[in-house]
Amino acid sequence: MTATADPGTTSAVDASTYTVVVQFLAHEARLLDEGREGEWLELLEDDLLYTVPSRQSTEPRSDEVNRAAWRIRDTKAHVRTRIARQNTGRAYSEVPPSRTLRLVGSVEVVPTSETDVVAAHSSLLLYRQRGIDVHFDLIPCRRNDRIRLTAAGPRLLAREVILTETSLKTANLGVFL
Amino acid sequence: MTIPSEPRSASAFSTPLDVLLDRVEKDMQDDLVPAEIFHSEEVFRAEMERIFTNTWVFVAHESELPKAGDFVQRKIGLDPVIVSRDGKGGINVLSNYCRHRGTQVCQTDAGNSRFFTCPYHGWTYANDGTLVGTPLMHRAYGERVDPDLWSLKRAATVESRNGFVFASLSEDVPPLEEWLGGAGWMLDLITNLAPGGMRVAGPPERYTVNGDWKTAGENFAGDVYHLPTLHKSIEDVELIEGLQGTCEIGRTYEFENGHTFIGHAWTEAIGPFFTHWGYGAIPGYVENFDLSGLDETQRFVAEHEPPTVGTIFPNLSFIRIFSPLPDGPPGVFTSFRQWQPVAPGKLELWNWQFVWDFQDEESAQRDYVGGQYCFGSAGVYEQDDTVAWEGVQRAAASPWMRKEGMKFNYQQGQNSPVDQAPDPDWQGPGVHRKTGYGEHVQFNFLRQWLRTMKGQTTPRTAGTSTTDGGMA
Repeated sequence: MTATADPGTTSAVDASTYTVVVQFLAHEARLLDEGREGEWLELLEDDLLYTVPSRQSTEPRSDEVNRAAWRIRDTKAHVRTRIARQNTGRAYSEVPPSRTLRLVGSVEVVPTSETDVVAAHSSLLLYRQRGIDVHFDLIPCRRNDRIRLTAAGPRLLAREVILTETSLKTANLGVFL
Repeated sequence: MTIPSEPRSASAFSTPLDVLLDRVEKDMQDDLVPAEIFHSEEVFRAEMERIFTNTWVFVAHESELPKAGDFVQRKIGLDPVIVSRDGKGGINVLSNYCRHRGTQVCQTDAGNSRFFTCPYHGWTYANDGTLVGTPLMHRAYGERVDPDLWSLKRAATVESRNGFVFASLSEDVPPLEEWLGGAGWMLDLITNLAPGGMRVAGPPERYTVNGDWKTAGENFAGDVYHLPTLHKSIEDVELIEGLQGTCEIGRTYEFENGHTFIGHAWTEAIGPFFTHWGYGAIPGYVENFDLSGLDETQRFVAEHEPPTVGTIFPNLSFIRIFSPLPDGPPGVFTSFRQWQPVAPGKLELWNWQFVWDFQDEESAQRDYVGGQYCFGSAGVYEQDDTVAWEGVQRAAASPWMRKEGMKFNYQQGQNSPVDQAPDPDWQGPGVHRKTGYGEHVQFNFLRQWLRTMKGQTTPRTAGTSTTDGGMA
């Protein structure tokens, strides 16, 4: 099974697993909203793959997302360096850091072929007010995650972010989705 | 020198265009540029009329249209155009407005189709723009609607150079080769290093930048002075070093028609092994290069002082730099980008990563991902560039600054001890300076803007034939 499999044809996980995953998604959203990227990094598996594939207006609609083309294709090391750069105080687009609010919803959790890994589909609406902007940005997206359930708690193994927009209206993707 | 004081006027928040352009011309003699040009309704409207509908504009790379029927939707200024490959292999640049009522006949960014059918009344065009169908023809029109009169409007002329397809909405332009001049020579040494050249790695990513298209264009014409400040964070996380010396090892390439590049003397600064943008320091690249088609100066430039960034007037830019990723092998990425004007002080950035035709999937992916990591909507460099540009147009729109007659300072170099004179031994086209100091490159770009806005550009050579709307 893949992270994009249709949960309508797959059995959902049990209620306690669902609760653990939803709690995890809420927790990481809060860490990022509170500027605790270092703590968030600890929740990422070492073999993390974080991708934002290309999306265009196409017919048929199934061709919209091109998984061989990316805005972002990050490993954990890439993410760590992004965070380190923000922490230099000289990543000027995020000085001061955007004020953000991540609204996570529509969470579906389904098992995968790996017993300790679940797939989680969620929608994210990220409100962002950057620097001294008088306006705000909304970044809408769907996320297809693979989450490993470890003894220490859930850990993000893979995240695929499907942006709703083909052309971004926010200044950049200097915030994690 | 001091900035001459401007007479104050309580009402002059907007300057009549011709008055403004005269002032720009006068101020540029003192290495100053009135801020107002970077956010003005009148200037923007005139740019659409005098520049974007009147000169060569990049629309697509041929590798985006490998098969018959392939098409992409693009912009020439504010106009949506369809760039299609027809059944005969020709490339067409077509207006995306139906001739019947104007509805857009193509509603997607890319695809493959033999026909474009207007959703409003069903007028149907072949992918070369020819009107081939009108519903209920016999009852509605009595006869075939004449395709010679009612096909999609075609760009006046279309030509391609190294796979880069340009179109002009005016016939009154020199042939592309002549228009590009030295920039074509430079494009050769950028993309023709290996048989097969380069191809797009993927579709363009797009995002809005609250900056003026000229600000982006002048930055990529060769503003290397901003690197040690705006991009210091990249050095802090050890993805690059030596930013402080960027102007010292800067090398300018200023061509006719405003096309401008700036390079760096990498082998001098880093070491003799760091040839060809640093490709020489990484296995897998130069073994595939064949520079025998280049002239001696091109080979020297490519090997030792290659262009890092550049802008082909009006709005196509280029960047190629050595890009280590935080993990994995290093690479060199190549991005072409287009600054699409959207409104005064606002552009849409279109960003294509390019890879070599000879690269295998893994190597191509590395450069694609490495390029996006540096320059793109999530690029660790570009995030900071694009927001810095926001201030330029905000100052330009400021009522107080309008009242003050604010001018931007391009006087770097006036009293600099650095030798900025054109290199007397330069054998290539245009002007070459062996320094990044002096802001000469920005002015080369802006002078072309001024000439075009004032209608002082050279019309096409008499007797030159242009292709009508398509390219075989």
